[in-house]
Order: sequence, then structure tokens, then C-alpha cells
Amino acid sequence: MREKKREQYDVVIIGGGAAGLTAGIYCGRARLKTLIIEKALVGGLATYTNEIENYPGFPEGSGGLGLMELFKKQAEKFQVKFKLTDVKSVNFEGDKKIVETFRNIYEAKAVIVASGGRPRITKAKNEENYLFDKGISFCATCDAAANTDKTVMVIGSGDAAIEEGMFLTKFAKKVIVSVIHDEGKMDCNEIARDQALANPKMEFKWNTIVDSFEGEDHLDTVVLKNLKTGELDPVKVDNCFEFIGYEPNTEIFKEVLKLSKQGYVITNEEMETGVPGVFACGDVREKGLKQVATAVGDGAIAGVNAEKFIAEEEVFEKQIMQKEKVGLIYIYSAIDAPSRELLPTLQAIEKEYEDQVKLNVIDLYKGKSLCDRLSCDVEPMTIFYTINGEVESISTDCSVPAVKKKLDELVKQNKGA
Amino acid sequence: MKEVELDCYGEACPVPLVKAQNKLKEMEVGDVLIVQIDHSCAMKNVPEWARKEGHNVEVEEIDDGEWEVIIEKMK
Repeated sequence: MREKKREQYDVVIIGGGAAGLTAGIYCGRARLKTLIIEKALVGGLATYTNEIENYPGFPEGSGGLGLMELFKKQAEKFQVKFKLTDVKSVNFEGDKKIVETFRNIYEAKAVIVASGGRPRITKAKNEENYLFDKGISFCATCDAAANTDKTVMVIGSGDAAIEEGMFLTKFAKKVIVSVIHDEGKMDCNEIARDQALANPKMEFKWNTIVDSFEGEDHLDTVVLKNLKTGELDPVKVDNCFEFIGYEPNTEIFKEVLKLSKQGYVITNEEMETGVPGVFACGDVREKGLKQVATAVGDGAIAGVNAEKFIAEEEVFEKQIMQKEKVGLIYIYSAIDAPSRELLPTLQAIEKEYEDQVKLNVIDLYKGKSLCDRLSCDVEPMTIFYTINGEVESISTDCSVPAVKKKLDELVKQNKGA
Repeated sequence: MKEVELDCYGEACPVPLVKAQNKLKEMEVGDVLIVQIDHSCAMKNVPEWARKEGHNVEVEEIDDGEWEVIIEKMK
């Protein structure tokens, strides 16, 4: 096996759906070297939708695939690179975040997780045997034409199930819908429900779930089970489409990010995951509404915050934790008078030690994330002494003699080194 | 270890998937199959199927709307 190739990026985005592409547009436009890793087709789950009518800016509606191609074009305009493969593992422990695929190791200053979700399966008997090409599909747009004049079954009654089911009636001669609820009740919006009920090509099996899938090589029968009577109902079909929701693609993040019980990544409103430099956005997040429009909002926030994180990291490394001189980092608060009044005193000290001491002052509120990098809980009027880019000691004694004594000691040490 | 190219240009679902499955069956572990496709539908089922089977998969975008799905047979 050849050795994996290492490549360096500012930002690596895992997932090329609406959220990842938007984050990419923001990062690329901020001139960050950005890579989007997508396991298959750029555009994510939106490309499974035949018609997107509620994404603003497209009054005539837009195909899912076409809309996502436009997103991708826009990202490419800002020099975002794409790699079409799946991520095998991640390591977010160090300052350099590691994202590993089967042939490459990518190192990034920040990572944005936008890995989205995938269609849920029924877990009924024999389902595994018929997935994708053997009769069970998750994409009406992809497989509708192959079902011209055929009988198909749709599992589910949410917006996706009913809207895609109606799309299938344009091709298939009959669309049988298995609905778990009582007659007339569906999970989709009312307009779709009324249209579906009035559609002569659609037939409904109420109170049913799938018991098993049957057929020689290819699916030919779906056995439904009536939840009320327990009765089994074998239905002859040519193909079956499952639209029963999604599950998150978070297997590789199990040990590294905080996940909800259902496996979604938990973030705050800034898309921060709790691991510095790692953000999450889009359907993979624990949140309410999952739409292209909300994924775009998430992606913008994640992109901007990744940029901010990298900029701060540079300030922190190059300026605050500089290696040339002995460092005197003073934490104050603009709203705390005693800590504020000490500023000129410390500036005078820095001047006295010209060429030997570098003073950095951080406002606890404005520079909170910089403070977090030094230590989790700091009070105003705290001094960090650094030597050679490392924190040597922390002190809350800000009296001039104490500060000078410490600096004399460190300057001597620094000269000796 | 050999490398086989499978030309599926111009073919719609499920033809590329069926062709890829049949071809991979004839190949040895460690061999690499390169499926050339230009229908986006095949980008959804070919890589997904191959990964589900436990093979290594990487895709190269050759041109706008043209891809090579590279499958390394693992078992």
C-alpha cells in the first residue's frame, strides 16, 4: 500500500451539500485555502429532490440538482477545491485538525462538519437484498423514468413521500402509498395531502408498515402488515420507494464530537461544536427545520466563524505568544475601573524594558476567545508571563515591584538561553 | 493488480450500477475498477453500493458532469 499523501488547507469542509457549499463560498471568498470533501455527488440530499419551490430567488422553482450545481459553481469561482471521496477518520485533538480519506491525509486549521443525513430504511425483512438497483430506491428523480407504466410503492406520508409520490404518477401507471396512520391522516402539508387524495393514480394503504420484501432476484412483492388487524397484505409491485426520514452521517464523529441521542451534532448558534476550530452546520446538526434555506444560513455562520477562528489563531500565535521577547500579557476589562487604570503603568514598564519585554493587553469581553485559549477562567487584573512562546507563570499580583521582579528574572533567563 | 476501465458514458440508471456489479464479480481482490459515467443518477448509487459492499471508493470529476468512480476491490 502506498503512503498516504499529506495536503495542507486552511479549512476542510466535510460534506458538499447546501450547508457545506455555502460554508465553502464564505471561506473561499475570505481567501482561505478551502477543500470540500464529498463522498459522491456534490449537492447532497437536495439532489434527490425533483422540485424545490421554496428556496428564495427562484420564483419558477428549481430542480434540486440544478440548484446545487449553481452553488458549486459559485464555490469554484472562489477557488474552493473539491475532492470526491468519503472520510475514513478524523482527529481533532491538536491545533492541526486531521481528516483522513483512503488515499490522503488532510491537515487543516479549521474543520466544518456538514456531512448531512441519509435516507432511513424500514429495517423490514429482506430489505438489504433489494437496495438500490434491485427494487428499493430513495430517489424518485433518479429512477422515475425507469418506472414508466409500472406499479410502484411509496413508503411514508411526509412531504418527501407525498410530493415525490405525485411526481412518480407522471410516469408510473399506479403509485401505492403505505401510510402508518389512520385513513386520511398524513404527515405532509395539507395542500400536498389534498392533491394526493384527489390523484386517480394514487392508492393508499392505511395503518400499514412493511413486514417483508420478496422476489427472486428483483423485488416483486412488498408484504404490508396492518397495524390494527395484524393482517398481512402482499402487494405486487415493480419497485418501491422509501421516504421515511433521515439519519445523520456521524459515525466517524462518535468519539470526537458531542452528539445527541439520535446522533446529531450538538452546536450552539455560532455553529461551534465545543472543540476549538471545529464547526458543524446543516442537516447534521441537532435542530428544527431542515431545508436548503436553513442549511444556507448555517453554512454562512460556520464559514464566517471558521475564518474568525483562523484569524484569531494567527494573532494568538504570532503576536500574543511571540517568542522573541519576554511576554507580559495583561487581562483587563473595559468596564472594570481598577483593571483599566493599570494599563498606563504596565505600558510604562514595557517602555522601561525596551527590546526585552513585549506587552499584550486583552480585553476580557472583546477578546474572550483569546482568553479562552490562555486559560478557561480568568479574572480582570491577571498577568500571564511568557518566555519563548510558552506561559511561564500566571499571577494576580499587579504591583509594580512584583511585576518588575518577575520580569528581571525572566529577562535574565531569556538572555542566558 | 490490474486496472479495468468500464465505459458507461451515455447510460442511465440502473445500467451503470448493474454493469459495475457484473464487472467487479469477475475481478480479483486488490484490482481496481474505473467506472466512467456522465449521468448524475449513477453518482448516487454506484459509489454508495460499492462502499456498502466494503470496497474503497474515490471519485474524480473529469469534466463538468463527467466522472470516474474508482473502486478498489477489497473482498
